[in-house]
Amino acid sequence: MIYLEEALRVLFANKVRSLLTMTGLIIGVGAVIAIQVLGSSMAGAVNGALGDMADNSFIVAPNGVQGNFRRAAIKLTDITAIEQDVPNIEQGIPLGGQNFLVQNGHHQARYFLTPDSSQPFNDSPLLYGRRFTSNDIADATNVAVISYRSYQKLFPHGGDPTGRSIYAGIHRYVVVGVLAAPKRGFINAQFGGDITIPYTTYVNQYVHDGVAGAARFIVADASRMNLTEIAVMKQLKALHGDQKGLQYQTFDKSQLTKGINGIFGVMTIVVALIGAVSLVVAGIGVMNIMLVSVTERTREIGVRKAIGARRGQILAQFFIEALLLCGFGCGIGLAIGLSIGWIVNQFAIVKVTGYVAPLPWVESLLIAGAFTIVVTLAFGTYPAYRAARLDPIEALRYE
Amino acid sequence: MNNQTPLAIDVRNVTKTYAMGSLEVQALSGVTFTIAKGEYVAVMGPSGSGKSTLMNVLGCLDRATAGSYLLDGVDVSELDDNRLAEIRLRKLGFVFQGFNLLARTDALKNVALPLFYAGVPGRERTAAAQRQLAEVGLGDRARHKPNELSGGQQQRVAIARALVNDPAVLLADEPTGNLDSKTSEEIMALFATLNARGRTIILVSHDEGVANHAQRIIRLRDGLVVSDGPPAGR
Repeated sequence: MIYLEEALRVLFANKVRSLLTMTGLIIGVGAVIAIQVLGSSMAGAVNGALGDMADNSFIVAPNGVQGNFRRAAIKLTDITAIEQDVPNIEQGIPLGGQNFLVQNGHHQARYFLTPDSSQPFNDSPLLYGRRFTSNDIADATNVAVISYRSYQKLFPHGGDPTGRSIYAGIHRYVVVGVLAAPKRGFINAQFGGDITIPYTTYVNQYVHDGVAGAARFIVADASRMNLTEIAVMKQLKALHGDQKGLQYQTFDKSQLTKGINGIFGVMTIVVALIGAVSLVVAGIGVMNIMLVSVTERTREIGVRKAIGARRGQILAQFFIEALLLCGFGCGIGLAIGLSIGWIVNQFAIVKVTGYVAPLPWVESLLIAGAFTIVVTLAFGTYPAYRAARLDPIEALRYE
Repeated sequence: MNNQTPLAIDVRNVTKTYAMGSLEVQALSGVTFTIAKGEYVAVMGPSGSGKSTLMNVLGCLDRATAGSYLLDGVDVSELDDNRLAEIRLRKLGFVFQGFNLLARTDALKNVALPLFYAGVPGRERTAAAQRQLAEVGLGDRARHKPNELSGGQQQRVAIARALVNDPAVLLADEPTGNLDSKTSEEIMALFATLNARGRTIILVSHDEGVANHAQRIIRLRDGLVVSDGPPAGR
């Protein structure tokens, strides 16, 4: 196609000028795509981290900012009362954690030991064995389900570890299950330890004053989670004498997801604003250089018209020149943005969350394509129109 | 002049008035003449005589204010801009004083440009352009860019570009104005050859020596034809 060939020739004849004109687009598109890549891999990482938390469970804990923290601490009796009185609650267990040096012979490491129930907090699949049964809970047996990470550390030779014993402090636990390699993240690190034991066992061995601190509840109907949470918090206040300033807070997966999505929503707006501003700035640059190009080549346009080019053909020529300029700029921006996003993703986000997010190719391509089209249409049309409207006699006389 | 030959150009009572502010300037005040196919005509006149205006009207770059203009049998006095562009493309070939070739574009592509605007497919364009270059004696310079060609060669390329669509009329505006006298002679010889092969040529010049190559000279003064006939000494 001649238009393309000629446009390329013009762009490459003015290399520095073309590159300078593209800078705005390169930076704008590069920034938007880099942020977009980061945003989507962050979202992916967070969702991956939350993925292990069971959908039908929530956590309730005293709010950290209050005067009488001891008074607010959730007791074992509170949990039992809530199980009985609040509708939609299926089960409640205390939440807690004990940091121990866990040993299997001379293989040892420090891990968090946390309580769990037969309806597990962490619903990731199993690599070996089983989860806790209701018998384990009822009998408060000394069994443990361990994370993949701790399995690798404590059983470095691999193989099925079920039936083998590990030691934590003065207690011995028989391994009954190993979780599959996790989509681990900060949520599990906070609420679910690497070694879980039946909550009844946990209560027997580590809760001596009847104070659990925080609790986890399983609901029957996840769609009424919010109402249930409110009811639980109300009940807790009542159980603790409804003191003024007593505050509780709840966490559940949809709540956390919502919060995180809210942050990304704000980020999206910011990115869109950056995009819009850089689009306008870059577009003005493109328009400026195209107007210069039209003026410089007035005589050439006159000649083209004299030998029979129609308006549409002149228009097409300059429009395609602008399109190519924008296309190159956005293309380079796309490459740079994806590279930056990929590098940060590989060397920062994966390190923190352990989650490898795929590059959002399609979205990035669409963004770059949309930029190209919008900038060309908005800022390339007028110069091309001006070229097409030139009077051939005037243009031929132009020096 | 043979009245049996079909007319290439038929201009009747053409006037052209420019509005310069509140002042009206009449550049052409009623010009009438015909040019038969195959004629070689020079248009002469001092500056301000309406020569350039007539050239623009004949070249379909501008419309007459009044009067009629038939080009190759087509009334072009009332056409819109795009139709005029079409006429320029199909029926007219322009040769300019300053050659006006596209820089950084080789001779072949320069010559092929009108064919592109006419929608001729790529391969045919190249073949036709190559043929036309050979006809002006530059068959071996097809891949040379304008800055690699002499002035005379550039003007030959321009002539090839003007002829590639096989126009009814070749319009040359001071075609030798930028050339030395030896090269000018070569270009005039090329025009003579083309005319001998049947091309209709209209040459605008203020140079008697150049105009004398034509078979007929139309002289303008103050927007009117003051004389029309063979050059003196023929």
